[in-house]
Amino acid sequence: MSVGLITLIVLGLAVLGFIYGRHRALSAVEGDARHLHSLPSYYGWSVFLFTAVPSLLLMCAWLILQPSIIENRVAALVPEADIAAAGSLNLVMADVRRIAGGIDAMAKEAGLDEAGIDALRADLSDIRGRLAEVGVALGSNVGEPILNAAREFRSLNASMRMAMAVAVIVAAVAGLVFAALRINPALRARNLVEQFVLVLLVSCSMIAVATTVGIIVSLVFESWHFFQLYPAKDFLFSTTWNPKFGGGSSLGIWPLLWGTLYVSFISLIVAAPIGLLAAIYLSEYATPKVRATVKPLLEVLAGIPSIVYGLFALITVGPLLRDWIAVPAGLGDSSSSVMTAGLVMGIMLIPYVSSLSDDIINAVPQAMRDGSFGLGATHSETIKRVVLPAALPGIVGAILLAASRAIGETMIVVMGAGAAAKLSLNPFEAMTTVTVKIVSQLTGDTEFASPETLVAFALGLTLFCFTLALNVLALVIVRKYREQYE
Amino acid sequence: MNDMRIADRKVSTETAKMTARGVQVYYGENHALKDVDVDILSGTVTAFIGPSGCGKSTFLRCLNRMNDTVASARVLGEIKLDGENIYDKRVDPVTLRARVGMVFQKPNPFPKSIYENVAYGPRIHGLTRNKAELDEVVEMSLKRAALWNEVKDRLDAPGTGLSGGQQQRLCIARAVATSPEVLLMDEPCSALDPIATAQVEELIDELRSQFSVVIVTHSMQQAARVSQRTAFFHLGHLVEYGETGQIFTNPKDPRTESYITGRIG
Ligand SMILES: Nc1ncnc2c1ncn2[C@@H]1O[C@H](COP(=O)(O)OP(=O)(O)OP(=O)(O)O)[C@@H](O)[C@H]1O
Ligand SMILES: [Mg+2]
Repeated sequence: MSVGLITLIVLGLAVLGFIYGRHRALSAVEGDARHLHSLPSYYGWSVFLFTAVPSLLLMCAWLILQPSIIENRVAALVPEADIAAAGSLNLVMADVRRIAGGIDAMAKEAGLDEAGIDALRADLSDIRGRLAEVGVALGSNVGEPILNAAREFRSLNASMRMAMAVAVIVAAVAGLVFAALRINPALRARNLVEQFVLVLLVSCSMIAVATTVGIIVSLVFESWHFFQLYPAKDFLFSTTWNPKFGGGSSLGIWPLLWGTLYVSFISLIVAAPIGLLAAIYLSEYATPKVRATVKPLLEVLAGIPSIVYGLFALITVGPLLRDWIAVPAGLGDSSSSVMTAGLVMGIMLIPYVSSLSDDIINAVPQAMRDGSFGLGATHSETIKRVVLPAALPGIVGAILLAASRAIGETMIVVMGAGAAAKLSLNPFEAMTTVTVKIVSQLTGDTEFASPETLVAFALGLTLFCFTLALNVLALVIVRKYREQYE
Repeated sequence: MNDMRIADRKVSTETAKMTARGVQVYYGENHALKDVDVDILSGTVTAFIGPSGCGKSTFLRCLNRMNDTVASARVLGEIKLDGENIYDKRVDPVTLRARVGMVFQKPNPFPKSIYENVAYGPRIHGLTRNKAELDEVVEMSLKRAALWNEVKDRLDAPGTGLSGGQQQRLCIARAVATSPEVLLMDEPCSALDPIATAQVEELIDELRSQFSVVIVTHSMQQAARVSQRTAFFHLGHLVEYGETGQIFTNPKDPRTESYITGRIG
């Protein structure tokens, strides 16, 4: 029985349980729902949840545990010699799984029954060819023990599946009976259902938190590996970035961090004022009609994929800046430059700043503006002296959010600023950022054990700390802002 | 009604500061104010009374063109300040509002310090020459609004952190500091305790020597105590307008009588 079918059966049972629970509650009070503690449907829901939730949870747990149990049992069948020949147990087990899959496919295509599969054993030399026919290409001939392991794998799999189906359905029925028997008019079905919902909500938020924690832990773990291979002192304080895949590289973070901060800084210099002024126009001066067209248009900018901005930087902005500013001013002749990436990224960030700031300015109560108008202030005085100060913390929050996006941006930097790690003040020189180097350290065929690849995790961790700090700062500021009108 | 103290009715001058003729206000389709004629006399406290939703605030907001900020509002008719139509194209609503100040129904202090709240008007209109003068104006205004003693040690604290009644007095101080010619007050005492109310009423009486004051109130006693003229609104109509004493002791319209004796409202 497939997982989908089992789920359907359980849900069907649960629906039956719902109907029965509701009916039972109602008939216990002779149809007068006022004598029930909760509304009749809550009794139905309580049976539904008791039927579906424990049994489906059991199924999930089973599906998670089953592979490792089977693996252990089958691994015992594989002789030492085969493991030694293949290099490691994992590789042998991968073969076993593929052969098992191949036998399944053969059984399906050729209508092979169990007897036919048994017959395969007699004809070992042929197996490799027949498996290849069904799309399973093996590197070497299949030995007797491996074939046995594969068959054991198949049969264990099938019997465990069956056992699971039985167990899940029994659990569902047991839950149904248990919950249905509990029903009486005094049962607090509503509280029960609400507790279930609460658990659901809590577990969803736990998933979000747990993933975050998992990502951080893996980052920290791999970074720790890196720092065992490469001194942290050099990583944090050296000013050269020069990875060599033969060893002896210097992996100082400063050139990269400098590039990141420089590009982000330029992009914010572009995005913050333009975005903010656009937001002021939109929220304070624009007529509803203008606003209704301009705001979505601005937000289209936010929907353009950053690779398109990257193209724009590479093909248009870079050469333009080089030919019209950098070369005439004698500042360099590179078309990829910090300035290019910063400008284009700034354009990308304008809608972030403007649309967040617009919301924040709109959230300033009209009473505040009225108060100012009532004292004889002009519109611009009102904006300058009342609206903006009231919205400022929120606007700062918006800009910090844009900043953390700028720090994490990769594509525009690759295409606009180049890939040379450099510590320089000249904005028309090519530089690179942390994100770009993470990508370039991980691409290509490299083993995951050298400091040159592991450094990517340390870089990622650094970046994470930066954006986390910015986001926390933004959140703190925004929260403070929220309290103001209360 | 007999226990009510009818304040002395002497009106210093009988000249009209503002005159409203045939004022109609629409909010979209809703005809909120119908054909209102009122004279606001200088040196006088005028009270607007009437049941909730009858258009008192609406009319008040016409007097300094605050209705301009409501997109759906349309004002017809003629309102003159010192003989000049305030809805004329040449009139700058900003200067008008500096002359006709307003205290709103809901307290709306700026999210700034108490000091900055009061100094706001004098600052934007350049009413003071130096910090010392500004300090003086702030202190004077807070004293007149009966708030000084409570806040003198924390002028730098945010105005939004005050209690509701204190915020209301802060808004009064803020309006007074701009020294308008006409002061419109929309239920200035709705959140005040009796003592603060008495202080604000004292202020209103004192302000009368310099400006005209228009006050919206739901308290008959208050209207009788502080005003010389009273206008009674009902369902968007101005039902009766006249001397406060006459309105309260000898109303001409049966609706006025029912309202002040508590039968409609
Ligand atoms: N901004 C607005 N938009 C649309 N309709 C409004 C607006 N302000 C007031 N009105 C309508 O105008 C009418 C008069 O309202 P107004 O605020 O003047 O009443 P009020 O006499 O001040 O009442 P209250 O004593 O409760 O303050 C009401 O019917 C109200 O619904
Ligand atoms: Mg009102």
